[in-house]
Amino acid sequence: MKPTLTVCPYCGTGCMFHLLRDESGRLSGVEPSGAHPVSRGQLCVKGWNAHAFVAHPDRLTTPLIRRNGRLEAAGWDEALELVHRRLRQLADDHGSDSLMFLSSAKVSNEENYLLMKLARAGFGTNNVDHCARLCHSSTVTGLVETLGSGAMTNSIGCFDQTDLVLVIGSNTTEQHPLIGSRILQAVQNGTRLIVADSRKIRLSRHADLHLRQRNGSDVALLNGIIRQIIEEGLEDRAFIETRTENYPALKAAVEPYTPQRTAELTGLDAEQIIAAARMFAQADKAMLVYAMGITQHSHGVDNVRAVSNLALLTCNLGRPGTGVNPLRGQNNVQGACDMGALPDVYSGYQKVADPAMRTKFSNAWGVPLPSSPGLMSTHAIDAAVAGTLKGFFILGENPLLSDANQAHVRQALENLEFMVTVDIFMTETCELADVVLPASCYAEKDGTFTSTERRVQRGRTAVDPPGEARTDWQILTHLLRRCGLPAAYADPGQIMEEIAALTPSYGGISYQRLDLDGLCWPCPDSSHPGTPILHQQQCTRGKGHFSPVSYKPAKEEPDAEYPLLFSTGRTYFHWHTGSMTRRSHLLDREERRAFAELNPQDAERLGIGDRQTIRISSRRGTIEVSAEITERVPPGQVFAPFHFAEGAANVLTNNALDPESGIPEFKVCAVRVEAL
Amino acid sequence: MKHMQRAELDSLLTHVAQSYRLLVPQRLEDGTRLLRPWGEGELVLSGEPVQRKPTEYFLPQLDPLLKIDTAGGVQLATVPETPLCLFGLNRADLQCLGFVDRFCAFPPQDDAYAVKRQNGLLIGLTGYCGPDGQLLPLTDGRCDIELIALADGWLAQAFTDIGSALLAEFNDIDPETLGTIRSLSEKRIAEERATLEQAARIVQQELVPDDFWREIGDRCILCSGCNLVCPTCTCFCVQDRTDQGGTERSRVWDSCQFDGFMREASGHNPLGSEALRTRRRIHHKLAADVERWGEISCFLCGRCDKTCPTGIGIQAVAAEIVKRFSTN
Repeated sequence: MKPTLTVCPYCGTGCMFHLLRDESGRLSGVEPSGAHPVSRGQLCVKGWNAHAFVAHPDRLTTPLIRRNGRLEAAGWDEALELVHRRLRQLADDHGSDSLMFLSSAKVSNEENYLLMKLARAGFGTNNVDHCARLCHSSTVTGLVETLGSGAMTNSIGCFDQTDLVLVIGSNTTEQHPLIGSRILQAVQNGTRLIVADSRKIRLSRHADLHLRQRNGSDVALLNGIIRQIIEEGLEDRAFIETRTENYPALKAAVEPYTPQRTAELTGLDAEQIIAAARMFAQADKAMLVYAMGITQHSHGVDNVRAVSNLALLTCNLGRPGTGVNPLRGQNNVQGACDMGALPDVYSGYQKVADPAMRTKFSNAWGVPLPSSPGLMSTHAIDAAVAGTLKGFFILGENPLLSDANQAHVRQALENLEFMVTVDIFMTETCELADVVLPASCYAEKDGTFTSTERRVQRGRTAVDPPGEARTDWQILTHLLRRCGLPAAYADPGQIMEEIAALTPSYGGISYQRLDLDGLCWPCPDSSHPGTPILHQQQCTRGKGHFSPVSYKPAKEEPDAEYPLLFSTGRTYFHWHTGSMTRRSHLLDREERRAFAELNPQDAERLGIGDRQTIRISSRRGTIEVSAEITERVPPGQVFAPFHFAEGAANVLTNNALDPESGIPEFKVCAVRVEAL
Repeated sequence: MKHMQRAELDSLLTHVAQSYRLLVPQRLEDGTRLLRPWGEGELVLSGEPVQRKPTEYFLPQLDPLLKIDTAGGVQLATVPETPLCLFGLNRADLQCLGFVDRFCAFPPQDDAYAVKRQNGLLIGLTGYCGPDGQLLPLTDGRCDIELIALADGWLAQAFTDIGSALLAEFNDIDPETLGTIRSLSEKRIAEERATLEQAARIVQQELVPDDFWREIGDRCILCSGCNLVCPTCTCFCVQDRTDQGGTERSRVWDSCQFDGFMREASGHNPLGSEALRTRRRIHHKLAADVERWGEISCFLCGRCDKTCPTGIGIQAVAAEIVKRFSTN
């Protein structure tokens, strides 16, 4: 049994464990790191089963090229030559911006960096993005505006020091289990808990207050709480005076959100809003925790602004046990953003539109670089439908299942002239590709991953990739060379040296320093100890900026034709589009088929029994899934996870986008349910 | 009773390693203490218990059983010819192994376990070698050799013929040397087990109401860690994987905390709530196994309490049961 210490491939909590290899060389199990500050000898169920999919017989083992309509095995040279030639040809014929590069929150920092370099320096386009567009793009936009940094302000250890946690739109025990469990432990030790979520999530069983606001009414709820705090004089005037700006505008903007008005908009009782305001404001140290329930709306950025306003109003920033804490969903979604796998910034959020930044990267890479920000991934789908986008390079993502409005995405991908995917399994998206390149999974490569608390940690190679599969960084290095760029990296550590040299917040990060617990950025130089808590003396932008917002309804609300509200998310046992967890025996056994949660009242009215197959329809499509009759969802609401290709929730979802962050409104659309 | 210094201990282990695949406690780069091959890293002779449960070596998390080739031929998984020696296990771990040995040997024998376990050697390590030099209670003899750490070396006693033969060349010492340690050790064991045994009586008498199990179940995040780290948990499920070369059947560690563990094909589950499954987890150790095997199947190794992210390992639950439902 040989142990290899590495980072869990699932959520953004950043647990570390040892992958165990038996005498025959196969991965035989997982053992949590006993001393790691986040894992502490503990894991969630996905972590305990993280070895299970690695050697699955479905792994892609050889490059595939589409010939006569079928994907057939090919050699690496032929496949890479074809990828380079076709992308180059499209760029020559239609301009560089006819290409889109989709990076991945599942690959390492080094690989994200190389992909954005390939897009920008190799093919001359800023059209590079990744799935943060679908999860925390609203956070990056909103918090950069209000605080100057779009990341979790505090660290996971802060949950042990706080007086109150307000969880809004995060099913923390299921989606960040080792953070959710810290919250549960804190509650056992006297920390107060407010849960604001329409579903009866596990945390709500332990909450002092459970606010089941209507999906899409978060701005109203937060404005109502803010107004009540001001009404009762519970705001922190000294903090507002010295550390913030634009307070009068906030005060004016929240004035209409009286408890009564807020109650009407949210479906709550006025007393609940008053109670929440008092409980929150009276805590000396309060942590605001949020995730997709806040961000995945057509007004996701406004939701984030409202969360930030509440923290600034009550001095819950820059101190231990406080903060605005967006929980990042994937193990490297923070890192993928940090590395500039985004259309408007290089690594470290250095803007492509800034001539000085452009010159810096241009000098480093030895080629001129494009100046205008590129397409967001959701806009790229629209551009592919419109026919202006011709080529798509997709690294480790499965937009056909993960993006809103599947028919629209399918139309986009089928409309492309050339699509290449790099993946570990033949996903639904790969099946539409012209070239599929077999990649290594987390267990088969070295690289760094940045967790939700900005902790940069080392993943390590435990086993070799299967067959002819290669690491993503090797694949990208080959393509960079074909583009005429120097890319003689001996190992990912050398790529990190280049990243550190070009990225101030990672300036002090090197493999030598990351050996045990990693480092939290900003870490500007080699002697800097890292920064577990942001905004301590002042906000990254200087003053904390109050950014007033007003309630806007969702783009599509239930009506006579589609009378139920539909929201999507993840379950505890599966991961995103299921390519890994549905190939992990125990996880797959726990939830084997597509299902949707339906309240007993609705089920009775519609004549639907538990586990009965139902048809759910929206204006965009229809799926058939198994009904789970449960009080977890309120009457009038249906919830379905998006893990299952055979009952794909994103057939139904609305690709109405937030105008600023480009995030789709996954959390609200209108559906009709029928018994079958 | 023998006495040995570090050089003699090394000599014993070197000798053992000639006939066994010897695993000894080592500290990994992140501080985790695990059993690793002798000679590959530094031997760590004191500290917290080794983190991976000792039954892992005979019933691993993924345990390939057989392969069926495309022609229908069946090939059993190969097992290394050299038997295994585990060195450095404490009293609780040795008791757990003894419990599982008996369970797996009970007809029908668990062949996959037996073939890995046969001819294996167990060397316990007790005495003043716990965290910060604390006393680890003496074993109850469920090993071949027990080494007892003192300030000036180790006492060694054998419980099997193989153990005696291995110790033959070392210097004898008066068994009375053990006197104080034995009494301290027995006192420690009695103290540590008191709460668990009291909780077991309460559970056996059905004095724990359903609401309690619901409350504990509400705090469970279903990580399954309690079962996976428990050295006396042996439940597994079967995984078949088919590729071009045939089908490989393995068993993998399972957990009674999963809905899928007891779910029927119809979808109905007789243990369909977290409250029922939590009750089962505790009841099995404190009541069902007592009825079946005559002893509580928790030996206080401490692993589930350390690995449970929400503080509902068996010792925490037992303490809560005693606090709330004790009639004394």
